[in-house]
Amino acid sequence: MNPSKKASRAGLFLLLKPYRTQITWLLVFTVISNGLSLILPKFIEQGIDHFQEISTNFWPIIFPFAAISVAILIFTLLQNIVQTLSAERVAKDLRETITENLSHQPYAYLQELGTSSLLTRLTSDVDAIKLFVSQVIVAMVSSLLLVIGSSLFLLSMNWRLALAVLATLPIIVVAFGLIFSKARRLFKRSQEAVDRLNQVINESILGAALVRVLNTGRQEQTKFAQPNTDSRSIGLQILGMFASLIPTINFVSGLGTLLILLLGGRFVIQGSMSLGELAAFNAYLMMLIFPILVMGFTSNQMARASASYQRLAPLLALKIPETRPAIETPVQTIEVQDLSLELGGRPVLKQINFLLKPGTRTAVLGPTAAGKSILVNLLAGLIPADQGAILYDSQAFDSRTQTRLPAGIAAVFQDSVVFNLSLRENILFGAELDDTELEAVLQVSELTDFVKGLPEGLESLVAERGLSLSGGQKQRLMLARALAQKPSFLILDDFTARVDTATEQRILANLAQAYPGLTLLSVTQRVEAVKTYDHILLLMEGELVASGTHAELIESSPEYMQIYQSQRSTEHYELHT
Amino acid sequence: MNYTLSQSKPTDVPVTKSAGASLQELWPLLREERMSLFWALCAVASNAGLSVLAPFVVGYAIDNFVANKDYRGVLIYSGVLLVIYLVSLVAAYQQVLLMGSVGQRVLYRLRERIFNHLQNLPLAFFNANKAGDLISRINNDTNKLSQFFSETLVRLFGSLFIMAGAAIFMAALDWRLGLVSLGPVLLIILFTQLMTPWVRGSNADSLKKQGRLSAHIQESLSQFKVIVAFNRRDYFRQRFENINDLNYDSAVKAGVANQLFSPVYDFVYQLARLGLLVYGVYLVAQGQTTVGLLIAYFSYLSRFYEPLRQIASLWASFQLALASWERVQEILDIKADLPQLASNAEPLCSELLCFEDVSFAYGSNPVLQQVNFRLERGKTYAFVGPTGGGKSTTAALMARLYDPGSGRVLFQGQDLRSYSIEARAQQIGFILQEPFLFSGSLQDNLLYGHPELQGFSAEQLILELKDLHLDALLERFEDGLETQISSEAEGISLGQKQMIAFMRAVLRRPALLILDEATANIDTVTEQLLDKILSFLPAETTRVIIAHRLNTIEQADEIFFVNAGTVIEAGSLENAVSLLKDQQRQT
Repeated sequence: MNPSKKASRAGLFLLLKPYRTQITWLLVFTVISNGLSLILPKFIEQGIDHFQEISTNFWPIIFPFAAISVAILIFTLLQNIVQTLSAERVAKDLRETITENLSHQPYAYLQELGTSSLLTRLTSDVDAIKLFVSQVIVAMVSSLLLVIGSSLFLLSMNWRLALAVLATLPIIVVAFGLIFSKARRLFKRSQEAVDRLNQVINESILGAALVRVLNTGRQEQTKFAQPNTDSRSIGLQILGMFASLIPTINFVSGLGTLLILLLGGRFVIQGSMSLGELAAFNAYLMMLIFPILVMGFTSNQMARASASYQRLAPLLALKIPETRPAIETPVQTIEVQDLSLELGGRPVLKQINFLLKPGTRTAVLGPTAAGKSILVNLLAGLIPADQGAILYDSQAFDSRTQTRLPAGIAAVFQDSVVFNLSLRENILFGAELDDTELEAVLQVSELTDFVKGLPEGLESLVAERGLSLSGGQKQRLMLARALAQKPSFLILDDFTARVDTATEQRILANLAQAYPGLTLLSVTQRVEAVKTYDHILLLMEGELVASGTHAELIESSPEYMQIYQSQRSTEHYELHT
Repeated sequence: MNYTLSQSKPTDVPVTKSAGASLQELWPLLREERMSLFWALCAVASNAGLSVLAPFVVGYAIDNFVANKDYRGVLIYSGVLLVIYLVSLVAAYQQVLLMGSVGQRVLYRLRERIFNHLQNLPLAFFNANKAGDLISRINNDTNKLSQFFSETLVRLFGSLFIMAGAAIFMAALDWRLGLVSLGPVLLIILFTQLMTPWVRGSNADSLKKQGRLSAHIQESLSQFKVIVAFNRRDYFRQRFENINDLNYDSAVKAGVANQLFSPVYDFVYQLARLGLLVYGVYLVAQGQTTVGLLIAYFSYLSRFYEPLRQIASLWASFQLALASWERVQEILDIKADLPQLASNAEPLCSELLCFEDVSFAYGSNPVLQQVNFRLERGKTYAFVGPTGGGKSTTAALMARLYDPGSGRVLFQGQDLRSYSIEARAQQIGFILQEPFLFSGSLQDNLLYGHPELQGFSAEQLILELKDLHLDALLERFEDGLETQISSEAEGISLGQKQMIAFMRAVLRRPALLILDEATANIDTVTEQLLDKILSFLPAETTRVIIAHRLNTIEQADEIFFVNAGTVIEAGSLENAVSLLKDQQRQT
């Protein structure tokens, strides 16, 4: 066994340290209930050996037998309850610790981890450890007790016969070893097939609309058929292996019985062994085989649990970042210095420099995939830069060590995230506003009429995934959420893409009127809306190719001119509201 | 039609089914495996028979040969025993193999059936249910069924046969001892009958909570961005804690419920032993039976009650499988609600697309009321209007993502409902508001769902793209057709996704091309390129464009204004703009 495997198994047991009281109780109950059930056959033996005396008065047998049976019932029930409670407790605490740890991490960390990995770790990996607690511990301990106990009994009765019978056991161990070493690879392949199955299922559900538009149901079915067939054939291969396991073990135990009959029979005929001992030998052989089987299967579960632990360990070891003091006074000025970032080995932002002064309005324009949304994530403090710095009122901010973003910055992202809460809670989302302030936020976001039209108004629940709202309504809700933070600095990412022109213009006018001192950075496609801005940044393929006012850029930047020209024809409709 | 899967409390559902009825529920899955099941059961029966026979042979050999010091007889019976063990080795191997492969095949068909069924369900179904819950039903619940079919079922049948063999021996050898031995089973049956509804209920509840947990994790990443940005990490923790707590409570309840059977079964076994001991000893003392027979009865008793105890633990996994099956069945029971009508001999309207008195509502929420309009071949139409006014719904009705509540949509003179799905998808191209890409290369995504281009090489595809003037768009991707896309698509921007969706739709050369805010996040220079590509489409292609940006729609031949459930002709762009402004003042 290599050291990392050993370490992960040790870690698995360390994990249980806080639960030692429960685990101790669990073992106590297990030992008591198993021990008690070993006593019962004694009464049967007594009853049969002394049937004459017993048949005149049954009570000396009935009473203790019934009492012990009830005791066993109580202790196994207790054992099972403690087992369930501690296993579920471990699972719950694991999930809680992991999410607690994750909740302190920067956004970039979770993004890197990915949803599907998060899902397997928090569900099936945690479940494997739960199974370890609920089944493996008890099974291992009681099996070990039984194997050692009955081997000792065998050896004490007749060591020659005992050695002959015990000599068959290595066959079982070898069979187990062979099958599991082969099966482990198959288990891995089977898991991969299931992963592929899940991917096809996930995509076909998330992309349900597209599948219906393109009528690709059948194509999806073919895509699904491949991993489904794979999973079946790997399943059959695993089955082929395991199908021989139990019969082999039964056969070996049969060989043991055969040995007892042949060899023991000879000893009895020779007079070196009694008939009763022969019967007892057979009975103890049966007691020996079953626990060995259990140990074999549980060792496999243990291997699965330690593999799962290996995957959970890094999440459990996550440090809550040492937080440096947050930037508490609302940010007035942002200065971007030599900002560069690479994603997947490709530069997405190259040496960007600009300054956002208090109360100014700045627009970021540029073609698709120019790096605009990534710039927004950087400015909002969500992801760290590779090189360069963003200074908030001359202070640097590092998302890896500072979990609270600089105060006063609020962002409206491209994708709308709606929580399964009331509209009011979705908008406030932690902010404290009185009714007039909230009214003002709704008014600026052009949501007042929409809310009035709802029978339950602000208390209406918004469905999960926000399906009952239109794209534009969601976007305005996102704006209201940002404004509820009373920002000094507002970042809008392609905010107007899903809102009609008239609404957009009114929202922008509302903003200017209600928040005169607000510093604004707006990523947009539409020149017309930002012509009057103090500053326009033109981003192309990660480079800041031009910056200045509209008038300046028209003179100096052919790229800007091209964008402007592409929109000019409809300009006169948009000039005035 | 209600597509929402039940989220009701398990106590609302009548769960008083007997074991037989429960088994019957699973029968449809097993029906096709009748022959294999028959052979498997033969193997199970012979294996069980042999395993009951072997101790009998050992006992006989000890009583008659070892006791009489006849070693030759011992040798002969050892030979018999070896044969029995060899035959049962083969039978046991066949038993596991046959039953196990039945399990694998059933699982395969089950997965296939659910997945194929899912492909036939309308979009409304997916809107009515959470993606996370659906994924959990299909992944977790079929896995639970898989465990049942591949492991539990084999052991269940093996145990049942051994029990049956032991029961037959016990009843046949001495009916009085048989009665004492088997009588206590009534207690077990009674107990199981009483507990099963509760056990099923708590398992169903626990599965539901598990579904919610994974649905929540599924969503948490996209929410995390907002949570960090708005400094509500506490919300992330607290929300998860709630769901985790609920999951814990229901899992503990289900766990305790599932664990109850085994100790109680064991207790009944001890009662049977005690009864047998007392009554057996009494009979022996009366001289009505022998000690040897009594010892045999104790060993048969263990061969009856030990498997029963196993069945108790299997019973729990059986209940879990049934609860999973119910959740899966709920999906299978939902019927697709988009029937195909017969087509009419006479064309019902001469234009390409006609809306006749179309009304539509989401639940009780009316979206469109008595809408009428006609679209001619080869023209470009723009649909404008405030958000939430019904534009996307109108577009969805054109592609029959939904059926109108009343009225009808006519396409090329025939009711849209009379077209086969194939014909409809081939002639109507639809670029969705939210672009969706599958994991794979850009080429995979372009060829996706295009029957005629399947198997095209990169060179052939590039020629096709050139033919449609789409090559300029392809140049925007550094790795060209090889660009790798993952469905979570972190490395690719929303605008790029929309460009791919656009190329994918245009490649199909549809008669009607609908763009539902399909270029909203694309820059205006690229958008001009898209306009140009659209203008190169065959003259008879009709385009429907929904957009907010005016320059997106300025080329339109006609503009419709969609607001508050009505669709009216706006005439010129100027008029449309003033309508947009007016409507704001009205509402």
